[in-house]
Amino acid sequence: MQPGRVTGFLGPNGAGKSTTMRMVVGLDRPTSGSVTVNGKHYRDHKAPLREVGVLLDAKAIHTGRSAYNHLLAMAATSSIPASRVREVISLTGLETVARKRVGGFSLGMGQRLGIAAALLGDPATLILDEPVNGLDPEGEQWVRQLVRRLAGEGRTIMLSSHLMSEMAVTADHLIVLGRGRVIADAPVAELIGAATGKTVRVRTPYAPELAALFVRPDVSVTRSGADLLEIVGVSAADIGNQAARAGIALHELTPVSASLEEAYLALTQNDVEYRTGTTTDDPGAVDPRSATDLMERVR
Amino acid sequence: MSTSAPTIAPTFVASGSGLSFAGLLRSEWIKLRTVRSTLWSYATVILISVGMAALMAASFGAGGSQIPADAQVAFVSQAATFGVFFGQLVVAVLGVLAISGEYTTGMIRSSATAAPRRLPMLAAKAVVLLVCTFVVGLVSTVASYLVASPILAGTGVSASITDPDLFLPLLGGALYLALVSVFALGNGAILRSSAGGIAAALGILLLLPIALLMIPADWAADPMPYLISTAGLGIFGLNAFGPPLAEVWQNVLVVLGWVAVSLGGAGVLLRRRDA
Repeated sequence: MQPGRVTGFLGPNGAGKSTTMRMVVGLDRPTSGSVTVNGKHYRDHKAPLREVGVLLDAKAIHTGRSAYNHLLAMAATSSIPASRVREVISLTGLETVARKRVGGFSLGMGQRLGIAAALLGDPATLILDEPVNGLDPEGEQWVRQLVRRLAGEGRTIMLSSHLMSEMAVTADHLIVLGRGRVIADAPVAELIGAATGKTVRVRTPYAPELAALFVRPDVSVTRSGADLLEIVGVSAADIGNQAARAGIALHELTPVSASLEEAYLALTQNDVEYRTGTTTDDPGAVDPRSATDLMERVR
Repeated sequence: MSTSAPTIAPTFVASGSGLSFAGLLRSEWIKLRTVRSTLWSYATVILISVGMAALMAASFGAGGSQIPADAQVAFVSQAATFGVFFGQLVVAVLGVLAISGEYTTGMIRSSATAAPRRLPMLAAKAVVLLVCTFVVGLVSTVASYLVASPILAGTGVSASITDPDLFLPLLGGALYLALVSVFALGNGAILRSSAGGIAAALGILLLLPIALLMIPADWAADPMPYLISTAGLGIFGLNAFGPPLAEVWQNVLVVLGWVAVSLGGAGVLLRRRDA
């Protein structure tokens, strides 16, 4: 993870996104290994709120206390002044409800309060678990702009979501988790590129003739219409060149760009933990064989 | 991580000087005073105490001047501290809620991210609760004295608050209330549930001595002075379940023992468990 960049944390339910984030701030202890933040355990930092701001759970707030008092109590631990509390309240648009008890807050207001708490210490690193959860479209837009702005200020931001559309517009870099393992760690564009680019849609009246040119083990050709072929494994340029050499007229030659959603599904299809009709007795497993085992059991 | 991001020098406002025990105390003080249950509980403690004192004083017949002076002081002291017996149940509930409320609402996760070390957080909570409950307890016993004293003076019973036999029990009652609240805090931290913590604290304070009283065997009387409530009431000279130990300091030690076990257990479990 790098300053100024938004790293997305993507994975199916139970993949370990939240657990990883909880371990960073020491809410959960790893069964083996350790997690350090800027070289130290989170609990060993002199000013933990200034190191990392976390939003793990919008409901981690005493329902009987007002938003202002909640933030004030959190700020007091690190001697953060009340002026900063008022700053984060206005930054998150909570001025009108700040004196009301949190118990009556909607999920969206709870998320804003959670983000306000994460920003209290003006941290260089922010960890936001599902920040758009429960927000209306306007709220989603607000979170997206806030996250981009915070990254623009040079902060390191780690964002989790199961909403691919959200990741596509907000994150720069993605880490994909499945069953407790990292299954991909790459820039968003690269991930989409990896799952796409390979498929080229070709429309030609001479479909059988063109298909015959690509009878190779590393290429798969699917005929999806009388004049339509889907070719995987050859670039659009190669197809065009070879067709020209063979004198085959092409009416369409389109590299199909998959969405992030498809890239994600391609990556995680072996790793969905709670698959209908199967049970697994080792949900927290980090054994690389377990996904294969599961697939075998499915079959 | 292969891509290089443009390096922008972070321009953050330095905010706060970092964790300190003073900061934790301030945070726990804000937490305690900003929930309604605290205000209600403390108000109840004072009202019960004053009400009980007034009732006891009013029910005393005439002719008080006939009884010896030290018995007069003892009676005034008893009237002023009788409410502590009921007040202990209220502050026990408050003590449990001070931490179980964090677990049931999820607040504990916010607390743990702000102050990741669990033991200082528990210690700060205990100190704040102890001090606040002591102050409220002292207000309630002194107010009870101030209410009972003029009523009793009308019947000829009088005692001066400067008499150690009177002001020490007033302080003792407040001390016991404060210790009960942190004993209950430990219960709440161990059980992490409001219902469970309250049941455990009230069970130990109230049901344990009553159960012992109901056992017909002779040995059942032996552990009685070592129960937290018997010893605690003994600090200010109240005898509800059986005779406490003879000396006030012995009774204080017994209560401190119960508090130490409760908070010690809470501390060990807090360190070991995930928040």
